[in-house]
Amino acid sequence: MILTQTETYKGDILAVDDTPENLRLLTNLLREYDYKVRPVPNGSMALSVIEMSAPDLILLDIMMPDMNGYEVCSKLKQIPEYAHIPVIFISAIDDMIDKIKAFEVGGVDYITKPFQVEEVLARVEAHLKIHLLQKSLQDKNYELESALQQLRTAQHQLIQSEKMAALGQLVAGIAHEINTPLGAIRSSIENITSFLSDNLEKIPQFLQGISPERQQDLFNLSHYSLQQKSTFSSREKRKFKRSITKALSEENIANPDLLADTLVDLGVYEDLTYLLPLLKDQDGEEILNMAYQISSVEKSAQTIKTATDRAAKVVFALKTYARHDQIGEKTETNITEGIDTILTLYHNHLKHGVEVIQNYDDQLPSILAYPDELNQVWTNVIHNALQAMDNQGTLKIDAFPQENHVLVRITDSGVGIPPDILPKIFEPFFTTKSIGEGSGLGLDIVQKIIQKHEGKIEVKSIPGQTTFTVLLPM
Amino acid sequence: MNKPMILCVDDEAVILNSLKIQLKNAFQDQYSYEMAESAEEAWEILEEMQEEQTEILVIVSDWLMPGTKGDEFLIQVHHQFPRVLKIMLTGQADGDAIERAIHDANLYRCLHKPWNNQELVETIKAGLHNYV
Repeated sequence: MILTQTETYKGDILAVDDTPENLRLLTNLLREYDYKVRPVPNGSMALSVIEMSAPDLILLDIMMPDMNGYEVCSKLKQIPEYAHIPVIFISAIDDMIDKIKAFEVGGVDYITKPFQVEEVLARVEAHLKIHLLQKSLQDKNYELESALQQLRTAQHQLIQSEKMAALGQLVAGIAHEINTPLGAIRSSIENITSFLSDNLEKIPQFLQGISPERQQDLFNLSHYSLQQKSTFSSREKRKFKRSITKALSEENIANPDLLADTLVDLGVYEDLTYLLPLLKDQDGEEILNMAYQISSVEKSAQTIKTATDRAAKVVFALKTYARHDQIGEKTETNITEGIDTILTLYHNHLKHGVEVIQNYDDQLPSILAYPDELNQVWTNVIHNALQAMDNQGTLKIDAFPQENHVLVRITDSGVGIPPDILPKIFEPFFTTKSIGEGSGLGLDIVQKIIQKHEGKIEVKSIPGQTTFTVLLPM
Repeated sequence: MNKPMILCVDDEAVILNSLKIQLKNAFQDQYSYEMAESAEEAWEILEEMQEEQTEILVIVSDWLMPGTKGDEFLIQVHHQFPRVLKIMLTGQADGDAIERAIHDANLYRCLHKPWNNQELVETIKAGLHNYV
């Protein structure tokens, strides 16, 4: 590390030579030129001095007793902390210097004795310069790396907070999405309980009081009702009720509107002929009511099942959405599952007039990705799409493989993005929404997430047709 | 003479099914019960009932529905049928909407989903006793 360097700092040089005269000569020469010099007489002392404080450059004699220069150099290069310190070998001109070996053990240069002053200075200066530049480059790199790390952390936090902001906007709708099935469940349970407490004791007596034919009618009707999977709207049911009321009046049956209402609730919409004997019976109304009670228990149970599934689906989608990837590694990701999760969360916005067309290829493979971040992409794009069409229109989602990529296309039938705004939509803090509605970071983050996946996002827009296309590599 | 009517408005069929069973259990054939999946459909029923001279007694309406929201619907109803007992039954409504309904539609009570059957029935009974 470069610590407190002054303007005059030229470098800290360790000189190693077993000949005192040479060592003194070298030391004096370099000190004269303002280098800091630490002279040591042998290899092992050189290593311990380096350990105390690493020099910027080492001048190392080769021919020394005990440990020669090559050995000192090899040892040094094995210690990562010191491996980068440049070593210049010194050898007497009449020694057989093995230049190849000098470089092999990690030397950067060599100087022959007796020295030529200019040569020593030139080589020392050149290598010090290289070394100091390398060091400052390393420091810069280190700074850049930590700056990058900080940016990554900041970006990650930004993505998280944007995600939670989007979730906040969804929560109101989600409360409705969960309270609705809960309401249906609770009310159904109370219906079942009240049936049991009101009717259980009455049933045996009631059955004994009616003829075997009527008993059969009761069972048939209850059974028939259980099998009805009514998909009729309340409007259609009212139509059936009117026509049944009319038919019953024509048969001179009492209380036609009341019976018609019960019959429609039982899933009897047309063809009353087979029921006429029952309806004309003096116990007819009571039997019909009992059949209705029995079927309402089954219907309540069915409602509980449907409502439970719906609530569970919403909770699952929320869990998937809010998941926080701690590992930070890509995982096998099913793209369309993620999209469907978001559609579930937006069900409340969709059901009021948005036709969703999901056109997914069966052969679509899973890809390695960051699933929760991709969910954010779908959330942003779908949210924008719904806003652009004011929750009325068509939302088309295509997903299919294309040349080693998964292609996802989300098209809405909304007002479109004006051409002057289109180039800006991916810019951070760009928003057309009023304060509090959007951070203006949505599409910026979307683009960053796609880039992180080495994918591409494109947009095309004309009024009535805006398409976001996302390409993700397989 | 037609029976007086209780009208329920909710965009969820499961809710309407439950309400119908519940109200029919509680009030038997004292009243007739109509279910509408939107404010628009509710208006159709209200007009039909008026033609048939059926008395409209109670409206139980959801708030978050496609098209017209519950508060708006009840305010419109109030202009034409000021004597009808109006109850909101909702999974989620903002305070302002309830406030508006109380002021401009003489909303009798706002119940929250999941609701309690007994509470709903008692609310209707008490409302009818006090108002009608």
